Amino acid sequence: MNGIKRAQLLGWIVGLTVLLLTACSSPAGGSDVIRLGGLFDVTGATGDVGKPYADGAKAYVEYINDEGGVNGKKVDLIDIDYAYSVPQAQEGYRKLTQQDQVVGILGWGTGDTEALRALVAEDHIPYISASYSENLADIEENPYNFLSAATYSDQAKVAIHWFLEQWDENRAPRLALIYNDTPFGRSPVADTRVYAEERGVELVDEQVVDLTSLDASSQLLNLQEKDPDFVIINQTWGATSTILKDARRLGIDATFMGLNWTTGEGLIPLTEEAGEGFIGVVTHAFPNEGETVEGLSEIESYLDTKDKTLADIDQKFVQGWTSAKIMLEGVRLAGDTVTGETVREGLEQLNEFNTGGLGAPVTFSAESHRGANQIRLAQIQDREFVMLTDYIGYE
Amino acid sequence: MRNPFAFQCGEFRVRYKDDLALYKVPRVRRRVLFVLGLFFLYPLLATPYYISLATMAAMAAIGAIGLNILTGYTGLISIGVGAFLGVGGYTSAIVTTHLGLPFWIAVPLAGLVTAFVGALFGVPSLRLKGLYLAMATLAAQVIILFVIVRWEGLTGGTAGMSLQRPDIFGYRLASERSYYYLVLVCLIGTALFTMNLFRTRVGRALVAIRDRDLAAEVMGINLFKYKIYAFAISSFFIGIAGALMGHYSRIIGPEHYDIEVSISYLAMILIGGLGSVIGAIFGAVFITLLPVVLRESLNLLTPILPHLAEHFSALRELVFGLMIILFLIYEPEGIVKMWRNLKDYLKLWPFSYSKK
Repeated sequence: MNGIKRAQLLGWIVGLTVLLLTACSSPAGGSDVIRLGGLFDVTGATGDVGKPYADGAKAYVEYINDEGGVNGKKVDLIDIDYAYSVPQAQEGYRKLTQQDQVVGILGWGTGDTEALRALVAEDHIPYISASYSENLADIEENPYNFLSAATYSDQAKVAIHWFLEQWDENRAPRLALIYNDTPFGRSPVADTRVYAEERGVELVDEQVVDLTSLDASSQLLNLQEKDPDFVIINQTWGATSTILKDARRLGIDATFMGLNWTTGEGLIPLTEEAGEGFIGVVTHAFPNEGETVEGLSEIESYLDTKDKTLADIDQKFVQGWTSAKIMLEGVRLAGDTVTGETVREGLEQLNEFNTGGLGAPVTFSAESHRGANQIRLAQIQDREFVMLTDYIGYE
Repeated sequence: MRNPFAFQCGEFRVRYKDDLALYKVPRVRRRVLFVLGLFFLYPLLATPYYISLATMAAMAAIGAIGLNILTGYTGLISIGVGAFLGVGGYTSAIVTTHLGLPFWIAVPLAGLVTAFVGALFGVPSLRLKGLYLAMATLAAQVIILFVIVRWEGLTGGTAGMSLQRPDIFGYRLASERSYYYLVLVCLIGTALFTMNLFRTRVGRALVAIRDRDLAAEVMGINLFKYKIYAFAISSFFIGIAGALMGHYSRIIGPEHYDIEVSISYLAMILIGGLGSVIGAIFGAVFITLLPVVLRESLNLLTPILPHLAEHFSALRELVFGLMIILFLIYEPEGIVKMWRNLKDYLKLWPFSYSKK
């Protein structure tokens, strides 16, 4: 007898779903609105850097709408917090493309961006992610992914290149790598190995430290035995501070360098004095750089309307702001008919696009979506990041 | 011949075949077919996004039915579902890309390979029960993911692998609608197989093991053999689900198969109802749609209460946990039992004299 009622329930479910569909099937808004998607991590594992990034991107859209929009059209940023979970990102992506019919997406992590790249290419959705994985730079495979800053591989190469320039001893320097076992962590490893060999750097050790690790003693003891001259870390703030603190405790005197997600205001309170001397890759401007970076004045005028100042935001906010700015520049160049296709063409017209110093100048073309390959390096001195270089490359 | 003007009452079975039918009452049978028909009509009415939600729920349901065979019907707990989904997905990816075999061979093969791997990790189940077995299957989760990440030549390591949508007679199942039908057919097959399984000798042996393994052994049931069967059959469907998911999302990577996936599948069968096919489907739909419904209700609230919404989004994990706890306290038998209660209530309504 169960069968009867089961069948009835199924009927109910179907009926209700159909009702739901008719209620909210068509996306809202007319043709004078440009819909953009946002897949951000606000509450997930990388939320500490993901939330300011998302805030920055949303702030830029608000700013540009207050300025009158893009080509006279308002921009509607439909953002989804996918909590750093790949399945949720995939579901969110389907909502954005199929339900909301966005013309471009601002994304976040390496794992989810790579998981979506085939769909992005098929659906013709320009995608600017906060992941700078080298895999995404392959334009044949990922014709709709755009990288708005130097890839992790390029960042590591510049770090090695810079270190070699400072190196004055009469032997090959010894390098060690520390990363985590995720697509993000492993992304630059293979390229770094190759580049180190090319440049005559001896790669003596590689250690895997978990993204959420609170202790890295055993890995660092192994690393200490190999006695590296410099170490390149690819982590986020949390694991980087663990590594730096344990290294200090063990008395490892190598130079520690980190790629862009290790760098930022959030690292300093976590590491305290253990962070002194750490050299980080800087892809985007710090808000405290003030007048030397003209692009910050735009952010400042936006923050004014919110009764805030540059002191209330951090570098990841600037990064989100810049990504949105680049995407909307592509939309502006797309002209009157805004589709995924035309936005891609618009983005491909960007040539040395000046972000006002918020990031390295960005160039896209039909042959390459590698926006930039230059970074700056900054060192923690007296609990503050101090710039060591201007934007530099490795060639 | 039956009098067409008289209302039929009672069930009349005149053939042994009638006794063996899955749904014995013709009216019920018709109703089931009608509902199935609605599911086939659904994609003609819905937008692609809603079809994709249904597809995801259906794929999860195949996996949840698989897990329910093991945990709900046989009483063997498994925390390795995530990794077994991965075995299915990766087998299909490797078979289609490295060997160039078609999807239609790769997916059953993925089921078989996962069944083998599952049976292998089921070996300790002869000696282990409950928490100990949970640890053993947790080990499966860790070992399998470790192999996937490290065996870069075969699996592509952390970068993952890409898969293609299947072709049938030269027609590519690239649209949401066509893939929905594929998954729906697979789900119906899985559900029919499982419902029938527990009417057979093997299925009854599994239920006997769950209810009291010692008694089952005394009755002559070879515990080891049947526990391995349970692991193999369960893993077969989980593998199929994994392969279907892989071909649906087009790219797979180790991050798709972590421990959280395993936990969400356990939550599906727990919330839906242990030891019930329809319960596994309810649970899969519930868990798949929960984050979507939360997000959408949040979006509705945002214009009215912007600050509440900001804080509420951080509570999503909490809602998930709360759901499980509330179900365990108030309805341990899951959604299926809630439905049964409702049905019992409605059966006599409005003249319900059967006070509890």
